[in-house]
Amino acid sequence: MKSQTQASGVSRRSWFHKLGIGGLLAGVTGMGYAFVRALVPNVLYEEPQRFKAGTPGQFPEGATFLEDRRVFIVREQNTFHAISAVCTHLGCTVKMVTLNQPKRVAIGGREVEETREFHCPCHGSKYYGDGTNFAGPAPKPLACYRVELAPEDGQLTVNLDEPVSRSFRLTV
Amino acid sequence: MAAQNKMWRQLTWTWKPASDRDAGDSVVRNLLLHWFPAKVTIGSLSFRYSFWLGTISAVLFGVLCITGLPLMFLYVPSVERAYQSVKDIEFVVSFGWFIRALHRLAAHLMVAVVFLHMVRVFLAGAYKNGTAANQARPVNWVIGILLMLATFFLSFTGYLLPWDQLAYWAVTVGTNIASAAPLVGDKIRFLLLGGNQIEQNTLLRFYVLHCFFLPAFVLFLFMWHMWRVRKDGGLACVDKLSLEQKRQNLPPVKSKTYSLLGITKGRTVHVETALVDEDEHTVSSSPFLTRRILLVMLGTVAVICLLALLVATPLEEAANPRVTPNPAKAPWYFLWLQELVTDTTIKLGDFTINGALIGGILVPGVLIVLLAVWPWLDKSPVQAVGVWFAADRRRQNLVFLGIVLLVLALTVVGTFLRGPYWRFFWPWEAWPEMPAPF
Amino acid sequence: MDWKNRDTVTVYSLGGAVVVMLGVVFWNYAQPEWKGYQEEFRELVTRKFGPARARQVPSGIQQIWVKELGRVDRCTTCHLGVSWQGLESAPEPYRSHPKEILDQHPVAKYGCTLCHGGQGYATDTDSAHSVSNANWGEPLLGGELGKLNLISNREALIQVNCNICHHNDRETKGADYINYAKRLVDQKGCTACHTIGKRGGTVGPNLTYIGDLAPEQLDYSRMSGKPSVFGWHVAHFKDPKQMVSETVMPNFGFGSKEAQALAMLVMSWKRTNLPMAYMPGVHIPEPQRTPEEIAKEQQMLTGEGAFFVKKTCFICHDVSSFGIESATKIGPDLAMAYSDVQSRFGRTLEDFLKAPTGTMSVVLSTQIHLTEAERDEAIAKLKVAYQKKTEQDAKNKVAKK
Repeated sequence: MKSQTQASGVSRRSWFHKLGIGGLLAGVTGMGYAFVRALVPNVLYEEPQRFKAGTPGQFPEGATFLEDRRVFIVREQNTFHAISAVCTHLGCTVKMVTLNQPKRVAIGGREVEETREFHCPCHGSKYYGDGTNFAGPAPKPLACYRVELAPEDGQLTVNLDEPVSRSFRLTV
Repeated sequence: MAAQNKMWRQLTWTWKPASDRDAGDSVVRNLLLHWFPAKVTIGSLSFRYSFWLGTISAVLFGVLCITGLPLMFLYVPSVERAYQSVKDIEFVVSFGWFIRALHRLAAHLMVAVVFLHMVRVFLAGAYKNGTAANQARPVNWVIGILLMLATFFLSFTGYLLPWDQLAYWAVTVGTNIASAAPLVGDKIRFLLLGGNQIEQNTLLRFYVLHCFFLPAFVLFLFMWHMWRVRKDGGLACVDKLSLEQKRQNLPPVKSKTYSLLGITKGRTVHVETALVDEDEHTVSSSPFLTRRILLVMLGTVAVICLLALLVATPLEEAANPRVTPNPAKAPWYFLWLQELVTDTTIKLGDFTINGALIGGILVPGVLIVLLAVWPWLDKSPVQAVGVWFAADRRRQNLVFLGIVLLVLALTVVGTFLRGPYWRFFWPWEAWPEMPAPF
Repeated sequence: MDWKNRDTVTVYSLGGAVVVMLGVVFWNYAQPEWKGYQEEFRELVTRKFGPARARQVPSGIQQIWVKELGRVDRCTTCHLGVSWQGLESAPEPYRSHPKEILDQHPVAKYGCTLCHGGQGYATDTDSAHSVSNANWGEPLLGGELGKLNLISNREALIQVNCNICHHNDRETKGADYINYAKRLVDQKGCTACHTIGKRGGTVGPNLTYIGDLAPEQLDYSRMSGKPSVFGWHVAHFKDPKQMVSETVMPNFGFGSKEAQALAMLVMSWKRTNLPMAYMPGVHIPEPQRTPEEIAKEQQMLTGEGAFFVKKTCFICHDVSSFGIESATKIGPDLAMAYSDVQSRFGRTLEDFLKAPTGTMSVVLSTQIHLTEAERDEAIAKLKVAYQKKTEQDAKNKVAKK
């Protein structure tokens, strides 16, 4: 009899014990999480990654360089796309080079006529107009970002947080 | 399963020793536990003897250090950005309000608890040596006084950092009292402020003092303080116990008569406290001392968590050197000084007694020095060690208590009974409504 | 239970209490006040505009950081409809902002609190609006405060902040109380005794920055009601001698409306650190040019030779017959190109432009890009320029004779 209650007493104690250790772990983990989460910023004192670039009418045909954002807004008739000016090698800002004569190049199996290229002044990387890297140490093509029309005032909104494929076009 | 259990037991046995032998072993085999003696007297564990105020102070310091770490990443010690960074901590940092509340409450509580700890040690005559050899409790008392002053200064330097009206003017009042010191007063103020005005230099040196030098100082003194407690044979109530044993004429307790390795002079502390009957009066540190320490830790944390949830952390308007709030008050632990300054500024015809010098420098200076040297001026017999309100120390206890109550009274007056223009308001008298822009 | 077991029980209870309190803290983390508003807004948008628009509603704390002003406003965390169109009749905090004034004061450039007051840092309603918060001296200048201060147009208090920038306007559209007060200042001759700005007398205190007065700096003992700076000014305008017994300021017989308007005006007279671009009517001078210089520039940009300016030929070349002047004159006058190219290179102009040599080959392959159409245009224009030049030369010869 005594051993039975003792046995159940022991298991009850160990249950409490486990609960206690669990609670302690929960408490310590909770506090630890809180302190670390406090260091993950919720707001940034930076230029927002999603910004308005101006109305479509303000952009001439071809590529317009937004210097402080390091992005090109490219207009082809009534389609727009945004291509990054940040070299994928080590982050320098690439220069746009308008070609005198349009060049025929093969990109991904298809033949494309090129009117501009992007050359990086730091280590000589070169990209076709659509961003494909074809020379120099660049490991990847230039990124393209989503462009939308803001519903409230019809301005082009570029979102540097949302990369899109090279074929993305916004038709206005 | 069995292997996991074995591993778990290997990691945790020191905290829950299965036998007396294990308990003795655990203090030798565990890094954290090596701090403690193998056994402690049951009297030392008593809540009613020490109220564990020393442990609570240490826990509060730990909380302050831990909450201070994320705050150091989030706060910016620049006069242009400090206020905004504190606002950001309150509003946009996840858990920011909570970390800041914990930090502030722990700070205020630590000042109060450290003070109470000092009062307890005095009233129980625990700064006195017992009969064991090589004790130096008066030295530990002085270390404690230094720790208390460091605590006040830590709180004062931290008070400035939010750079709001409360902070700015509290430091103005505090440093102006300091400048009343004779000869060196103005130089002290110039060095403290890093200039003539409370500006970027002041903020930065207060910040560095607050985050590095003072905590390092406290940590060092704390280590020495704990080491001295061990060297002195534990809390003063242990000496009281051994003296009682002598009085009771008990049969001699089995003890060693040789010293450590037979090399050192005299007998070791361990040998001396073997005069206490270990079987009857002591328990193993692990788990009984450790469990109580855990209890006190959790209790302290629970109290500051509760307060953090219930009490709002103030942040007034941004510091404006052109506008003095009315009234402008020092932090509460210095309010007794500010009140004393008021009360010792007496106009005698054309001549005004310099209250800042008397009330701000001389009186507290004399009190601190007296406090520090008191153990050497105390001529009470050794029987009074570790005894609350010992008959032999009645007079000094009453005078001390009188001064403590006076300090508390001055603090209460400064906090609650002084309103705009430092005019006196009885508790039932309403203060004039605080004006607002609209 | 002996003390050893009591210790254990106490440890568990205290631990449990700490865990529970941490739970409260985490609940506050998971469900802040603004989250409810954002969810409600999303539902509103779904009902009104459909789920596609609702997906565009941002989540999390929104902030507008105006670097030039050193202000950060988080109002749009709850006031999500501010720049939307179509929510003009939605309940607050989702209502659209009146469009006209927002167009002239875009949110990204001004923030919110510069005009509306309130505490931009805050992310909960009470702290953000700070109407009764003693620790934040800029309450929201909205209807609630207007009602408390018994202003007949409850929303008028915002005009105080309008005037911080529109300080020097004679009249500001939409600030009727301020405009009225400015007229009163003119009519009643306040500057006879008070210095306001650069002009005025010294009988009364200098009022240029009187809006900087902190509440602690006034004496409220002689006024009734809640002590406030606004209330003091209103009472003082209504009866100066009542508020300041030793004053010589006459009683102008101002009614409530006058006193309130004047109080709003004087409270707007504050020191500011606003960048010049924010001050209306500030003229930033351009480099001074003579009318002839301006005319010449116009002619080059829009005249017949505009093509050579647009394509940057004029950097090196004059095109004299079109009035195009080069600053550098590195290359020859293109007005003569039609014959020059033939005599210099033995080729026609058309040929030369198709396959240039020397400097031009470098320039035309790297710096100036001409499409085929542009090339043809250039050739045609150069022909015209040459004709014009020869005509002009002939005329000059005759004139000399």
